[in-house]
Amino acid sequence: MPDQEESPKKVKRLIPVPPEFPVTWEDPEDENIRWYWDREHFPYAAPPLEGDFWRQALRGFNLSGEELELMFRLDSRCINGYLYMGNRPRYESGEEEDRKKRAGEKAEAYMARMEALWETEWLPEIQDHLAFWDGYDLEGAAKQDLLDHLDETWDRILQLWRIHFLCVMPAYGAMGKLNELYGELFEDGSAFDAPRLYQGFHNKTLELGHKLWDLANQAAADSKVGGVFETRAVEEIPATLEKTVPGHAFFFSVHTFLDTYGHRGDWWGPMYPSWLEDPAPVFKTLKDYVTDLPRDPREELAELAAEREQAIEDVRERLKGYPRQTRERFEFLLEAARVGVVLSEDHGFWIDFATTDRVRQVLLECGRRFSEAGVIENREDVFYLGFEEVRETLSAFPEVDRRDLVREHRAEFNRFAAIDPPPELGTKEVKEDEEAKSPEPEEEPNLLKGQSGSPGKARGPARIIRSIPESSRLQKGDILVAESTSPPWTPLFATVAGVVTHTGGILSHGAVVAREYRVPAVVGVRGATSRLEDGQLIEIDGDAGEVRILDTD
Amino acid sequence: MNILWLGQDGCQDISKVGGKAASLSPLAGNHRVPPGFCLTTAAFDLWASGQEGESDRPFPGALYEELADAYKRLGNRCEESEPRVAVRSSAVDEDGQSASFAGQYETYLNRVGMDETVESVQHCWASLRSERALAYRQQAGLSMNSVRLAVLVQELIAADISAVVFTANPVTGAHDEVVINASWGLGESIVGGTVNPDTYRVRKDGLSVIERGVAEKGRMTVLVPGGTEEVDVPRFMRSQPALEDEQAVEMARMGLDLEEQMGFPVDVECALKDNQLYLLQCRPITTLDRSE
Repeated sequence: MPDQEESPKKVKRLIPVPPEFPVTWEDPEDENIRWYWDREHFPYAAPPLEGDFWRQALRGFNLSGEELELMFRLDSRCINGYLYMGNRPRYESGEEEDRKKRAGEKAEAYMARMEALWETEWLPEIQDHLAFWDGYDLEGAAKQDLLDHLDETWDRILQLWRIHFLCVMPAYGAMGKLNELYGELFEDGSAFDAPRLYQGFHNKTLELGHKLWDLANQAAADSKVGGVFETRAVEEIPATLEKTVPGHAFFFSVHTFLDTYGHRGDWWGPMYPSWLEDPAPVFKTLKDYVTDLPRDPREELAELAAEREQAIEDVRERLKGYPRQTRERFEFLLEAARVGVVLSEDHGFWIDFATTDRVRQVLLECGRRFSEAGVIENREDVFYLGFEEVRETLSAFPEVDRRDLVREHRAEFNRFAAIDPPPELGTKEVKEDEEAKSPEPEEEPNLLKGQSGSPGKARGPARIIRSIPESSRLQKGDILVAESTSPPWTPLFATVAGVVTHTGGILSHGAVVAREYRVPAVVGVRGATSRLEDGQLIEIDGDAGEVRILDTD
Repeated sequence: MNILWLGQDGCQDISKVGGKAASLSPLAGNHRVPPGFCLTTAAFDLWASGQEGESDRPFPGALYEELADAYKRLGNRCEESEPRVAVRSSAVDEDGQSASFAGQYETYLNRVGMDETVESVQHCWASLRSERALAYRQQAGLSMNSVRLAVLVQELIAADISAVVFTANPVTGAHDEVVINASWGLGESIVGGTVNPDTYRVRKDGLSVIERGVAEKGRMTVLVPGGTEEVDVPRFMRSQPALEDEQAVEMARMGLDLEEQMGFPVDVECALKDNQLYLLQCRPITTLDRSE
């Protein structure tokens, strides 16, 4: 065992709050722990109802934590529109070793049973929830019924996100542990060697991409349809298609696609309009594909799968000379990672997007009734009321006016959406002679360092994209630069030359999908969206995890 | 006879097969000893009687055929077309005794196929004439030409766990217990001292485990293409006990059988693969404080 260095003495200090970011703690105790801004999942400011949705959803972590016997509980606070997370231990002092052991045992058990649990318990439960929402007549509901439905919706969010966390812990745990074991066994090699062992599996995100490609292929095959995509601007395409018989038929195909795959917005959260509501992102992707059809993604997937199987054979050959215990552990983690990599995408399709869209429809129905009665100005203003405020408004409806309140909340939202929030708040442990500062990013003139996401190099203009509507600015050969990426963005990966994200690591969604599309990616690049300029020529190196600015004025 | 199999008549004759094979052969009948055969001192003579020049001396043709045939038969017994083998040499002196000079025992592990096996046999033979060997014998006032070599070619067990078993406590001298050191992979790491092995003590009377000391086992010897390598033990295995009690008891029982058979306390090297216990070596505990 290596000798432990004498750890420098640590003390707890209050993190100074920036003057432009005043904090009112809902519970005075909150100030005593460290809160961090979860930038990877919540890079954008959230209006009140969105914040309350996430507050409720994230409570699901602690339900899963009871089943998984996790070591800590997660609490979230929406502070000035930004989601901050705080951890508190789930054990008493003296219990740590014992609880760690139990958490480890549960982790192993869930890794072993993930697939069976998903098929027999979790997915059926998710589908029950979807059926509940889809079977409800929102517009025809009486006020009290709608209020009850809203409350029930809120309860179901908690149950669904309990499942979300039950999925992701063992799924990412397995991939992480396999990567770790591989690194211990084979020190030569790159960070991509282990992920290769579970690449090339079909999942719901890829399925969506394949269906989009099929649509594009279908359009390209008929000049009457393909021509529309090639010559018209995105916003004109739907209306133009409706004018011809083949165009109309194609339009119908797009709607069939949207019925299954359109229950998703730009980003995670009920405030984002779905593709069903606004299919522009789909038409944009179809236009890009038709204009320059990428390689058949199913062929790509088959190639990735073949590469995977060969890599596994090679590892098994090497491990023949190792103790059985090592081989058995490898096989266990390999199988769990195979299941995990699929679940890591599929749970997102079903829970994060499909069910959240149903929640959105319930909230929008409230907003619709409110706006039609003049309680708020527009349907979407409902997101500028908190959950309790929505309930109260619905109870008191229609004898109530919320327009001033919406205005107030919106002004506050706009105020904080324009600034960068502090990465940390509350109290943190620091070395005795240090201040409790929020971490500062390191700067180096033309080189930005991040982590390997997907191998290869790419050079091209940086395109800073903050939302799907903005993605219409992407040209072929651009390098997509974003805070983070979510599954609806992934069809874009077929047209760009490379991907850079501010957040994430080799296991994040963006990296995994970039590898599936064989597009170089650098993830976890601190300050990517602020340090790079739109249109700037950059070169990225997915193996080294580096982004280099090439034109320097 | 150029080739003698472990367990075969004549394979206990040190002057023909050297000390290693001679001590192992009588045990092959009632213990699971990995199958193997010896190229005898007669075979060595055949090679050595060629002209001067060492390792570039050609492999005698008829002997090659015999070796190929034996290797093939070994493959049949192991159910592998090209079995992994260990090639180990033991020297025999003019008086037919084991020539005991430290560090003269060449061992080549994880040879696969005829080419590698032949190459290793030739290296063993040539090592007899190495400068080190010559210098040692000159110092000891021993003649050079009278030393001959036997080479044991034996199935190599890709051990999951290896152990060294003493049927007396080498530190306290107690004769009523068996002491076992066990660790992951091949025994080289235990014998070479590069790993802290687990320690078990088993009371002979009743074969009960009286002590289990699980160590942080940091290194293990594994098979790699072309040979073996000592590597770090993956973290998840380091504090994991290498043996279950039943396995320690099985090893102790084997040690006791051997002690009875030999008539003196023994130092046994053994290996577990897929839960099968193999006997690799058995010798007297020469002194009751461990010194290699």
